[in-house]
Amino acid sequence: MSVRLRLVILGLALLALAPAVAHVALALPDFGTPTSPYGQAVNALLPELRHVTNMVAAVNFDVRGIDTLGEECMLLCAVTGATVLLRGARGESGAERAGHVPGRPVIPRADATVLACRIAATLTLLLGVSVALHGMTTPGGGFQGGVIIASSLLLLYLGEGYAVWRALVRGPVLALLEGGGALLYVVAAAVPLVMGRPALENILPLGTLKDLYSGGLMIVVNAAVALSVTGSFGLLLLEFMEETRAPDHDSVPDEEGR
Amino acid sequence: MSGLVAGLLILAAGSGLLVVITRDPRRQVYALAGNGLVLGLLFLALEAPDVALSEIAVGTAVTPFLFLVALAAIATDRVGR
Repeated sequence: MSVRLRLVILGLALLALAPAVAHVALALPDFGTPTSPYGQAVNALLPELRHVTNMVAAVNFDVRGIDTLGEECMLLCAVTGATVLLRGARGESGAERAGHVPGRPVIPRADATVLACRIAATLTLLLGVSVALHGMTTPGGGFQGGVIIASSLLLLYLGEGYAVWRALVRGPVLALLEGGGALLYVVAAAVPLVMGRPALENILPLGTLKDLYSGGLMIVVNAAVALSVTGSFGLLLLEFMEETRAPDHDSVPDEEGR
Repeated sequence: MSGLVAGLLILAAGSGLLVVITRDPRRQVYALAGNGLVLGLLFLALEAPDVALSEIAVGTAVTPFLFLVALAAIATDRVGR
């Protein structure tokens, strides 16, 4: 396709779409004006109904909790698929040596780097746990906390190097967290069903507003999401990181038999 | 619209442009991480701290890391065979 033809097509598309875009853009509400009746209703009703102050968590884990369960399963499936794909081509045997591009110098880490990374990894881990635990009261929650916990594993790698990192971070533990979290979510949804109520309906005492224990069943769901996201992202990092290890000789040959 | 939000919007557009016009994949990853950080700050300025936390953790830590690992894996593989 020549440049001229592309420009002609672009011109035609602009001619057709520009009026529509302009029309929609001019009809948008003013910047920063909250107009969504749903959002206003949530802000007005939920603190009293659910005893929580973080509306995002309340919507995610209670009002549309079943949607979040679906997303949880999507994350589980996506990470499982990535793991199967990567492990299938690589095999299970764990050479615990980092791969190395010939010609690039390997510079040993300075003690200061190792120390800084250890401190930063610990603090990041604690921050993640705190963000996950306070999901009902302050911004954050299971997903954010879980991702922060998983990213503390990256700092651990940065400080300790591949071999020590592989010894510290165990795949089966992460897989257990991932699956266990998802299972806990399903159980939290199913127990009210068994009691003859709608799925995910609150069956625990709601607790006090602005307290660490507030929100009832939402706390369990939040914890489930935190565990599952920690496991999922940790496993994803681990599986990708395994791709950079030194190639061992008994690995499974790929489709062309190399 | 406050000056802070306007400035962050311009920064977001600029850092996004930087991701597109960077040609070296490794530098592009860092540009992407920078763009994620700017977006996180923008969400924070727009009073969406939950989204900001996710964006900063996923957009500046995990995604760039996965890209870097993929690039490293390609580099080791290509030389190894």
